[in-house]
Amino acid sequence: MAARHLIIGGGTAGMNAIRTIREEEGERSEIVLVSAERPYSRMVLPYYLDRSIAESHVFTATPRVLADWGVKAQVGRRATALDTKANVCTLDDGTTVEYDDCLIATGSSAVKAPVDGADGRGVHSFWTLDEARAVLAEIGPGSHVVMVGAGFIAFTILNSILALGATLTIVEVAPRILPRMIDDAGAKLVEDWLTKHGVRIRTGVKLTGIEDAKGRKRLRFAAGGDILCDVVIMATGIKTNLEWLKGSGVTVNRGVVVDDHLRSSVRNVYAAGDIAEGRDLITGEPAVHAIEPTAQEHGRVAGANMAGKDVGYRGSLIVNIVEVCHLDVASFGAWDDAKAEAASGVKPDRPAYRKLLWRGDRLTGAIILGPSSDIWTTNDVGMLKGLVQSGVSLARFKAHLKRNPFDVKPAFIASKTTSALLPETILGRPSKAPGNTPVAV
Amino acid sequence: MTMPATTTNVLRIHPEKCTGCLRCELACSYMQTGAFHPAKSVIRVSPFEGHTSYAPYTCTQCAEGWCMTACPVGAITINAAGAKDVLDDTCVGCKLCTIACPYGTMFYDPDTRKAFKCNLCGGAPACAEACPTAAITYEATATADWLGEFARERTARVLVGAR
Ligand SMILES: Cc1cc2nc3c(=O)[nH]c(=O)nc-3n(C[C@H](O)[C@H](O)[C@H](O)COP(=O)(O)OP(=O)(O)OC[C@H]3O[C@@H](n4cnc5c(N)ncnc54)[C@H](O)[C@@H]3O)c2cc1C
Ligand code: SF4
Repeated sequence: MAARHLIIGGGTAGMNAIRTIREEEGERSEIVLVSAERPYSRMVLPYYLDRSIAESHVFTATPRVLADWGVKAQVGRRATALDTKANVCTLDDGTTVEYDDCLIATGSSAVKAPVDGADGRGVHSFWTLDEARAVLAEIGPGSHVVMVGAGFIAFTILNSILALGATLTIVEVAPRILPRMIDDAGAKLVEDWLTKHGVRIRTGVKLTGIEDAKGRKRLRFAAGGDILCDVVIMATGIKTNLEWLKGSGVTVNRGVVVDDHLRSSVRNVYAAGDIAEGRDLITGEPAVHAIEPTAQEHGRVAGANMAGKDVGYRGSLIVNIVEVCHLDVASFGAWDDAKAEAASGVKPDRPAYRKLLWRGDRLTGAIILGPSSDIWTTNDVGMLKGLVQSGVSLARFKAHLKRNPFDVKPAFIASKTTSALLPETILGRPSKAPGNTPVAV
Repeated sequence: MTMPATTTNVLRIHPEKCTGCLRCELACSYMQTGAFHPAKSVIRVSPFEGHTSYAPYTCTQCAEGWCMTACPVGAITINAAGAKDVLDDTCVGCKLCTIACPYGTMFYDPDTRKAFKCNLCGGAPACAEACPTAAITYEATATADWLGEFARERTARVLVGAR
């Protein structure tokens, strides 16, 4: 029986679901996509911002590709209500779409700090392609950019801003940078490194307002001097796009609560990506992981189940990596678990720091910082992810890693992590290449 | 098109035959970049037991292809040899594949700002050809954990001392 699938949101999760439905289904089904924006990958926007790629490179499917995949696309339309009793979704132009099953993949949006002037000219979020275009139009060589917020998203565009020849000041209300990605010691190292590379950083400061100042912008703070600049980017957080689900009957907590098949509380309604609250691989607890790999895995598992397969999901692992001024900064899993046993190490001669966290003899989290030219940093990032993901028992190699967190490889190989990982696949079969239905255009 | 698993060749590692001569690294870097530059090799010879034994380590071409499914722009595909391969023109250098690959076999070139990895040289792997002791062979077999057992014995002695 060919179903009518409705995909709401054409970002990472939605597009992965569509591709997987087409890969898995026995009989060609109907797929309708309703998406407020054209399908693109947000995490590619930093490379559009630094002009290393053309705008067209960010799209994950052109209208032509959507047509090839047999997707009826309603792009530029927003879902405004979901009637899960009648299986009908209402759109912002008043039209309705009926479905047999549907996927909620509406992601998140940027939230600006609630201060006077936040909506003024020259003050931007950086979450959508439109916002990226606006920022790109205003930054040039010699511009002074102030980034409000020193979280992961701010850091993903840091290199791009510098590459455009702008000078950068980062202001953060927390006492330190990257509060939700790395620990104090790591943050100190990154802060020193950035300062050395000409980035000005002010932490522990509360922004109170933004004013126009003769064509420029003036930022005022609860304490300390004003800052004058040309462009303000507010990387002050995101929120899940849940409002339109009011009255739908779908259980919502921090996100749409999903089971191990990515099903919501309503059996034929799935949710995936930033909007979904699913299992965290390490803690086993429900969590919202607003990262690309979770959106990809959620989307694929949801798509397979919508196509009639029975695919259970083990849970998602929080992983983050960002490069700033040739320094790699990465963290995984339960890196801030206060109850875990921890060991850390620094290299005095270069910007390298590691922290490993255990529960028993299993690695449950890690932080790793090192020069991006250092091959071992890159390889070890992967191996630490493998140790956390597989949860292999490190037994006697734990003592070695605690003594020397920079010597990951022998412990990884000798713990037979490869044996543990090789049988593991997300969909219970080998993955298919983007190949004939390329995701990139 | 994916090939039936039985006809796909993989790099099989016979660690006990490795003498640590590093010819595979030279051959690999030459094939991949045109320069004899082990730092750019995607097969890596690791020492065990205080440098008295060695074994080469590289991508197993795993079934999931964590690097491939993670790439936000579809820059990693499966080539004719069945290997996961990075398309340079498509890669934006975001490094997501380097953190997604749980084997630590993705590489990143800061000069080109591209990821790179073992692509089985498109079906004629230079490392296997260069190895004088046949410690690396290119065979039609299922991929496996070639080094685990070997390393467990040897590393254990280094790390905790023979008991
Ligand atoms: C600059 C930047 C850099 C990033 N870098 C990284 C990184 O390095 N690593 C990482 O892991 N993650 C990164 N991310 C986060 C990552 O992009 C997101 O986690 C990912 O996009 C989530 O995918 P999603 O499909 O859940 O949501 P999205 O990709 O946000 O897609 C949601 C879609 O739904 C649409 N939509 C919203 N509301 C409605 C509605 N009511 N009706 C119809 N359509 C709607 C939106 O227009 C959009 O098309 C970055 C994000 C940004 C902005
Ligand atoms: S570094 Fe290149 S190949 Fe790797 S995930 Fe990013 S774009 Fe894809």
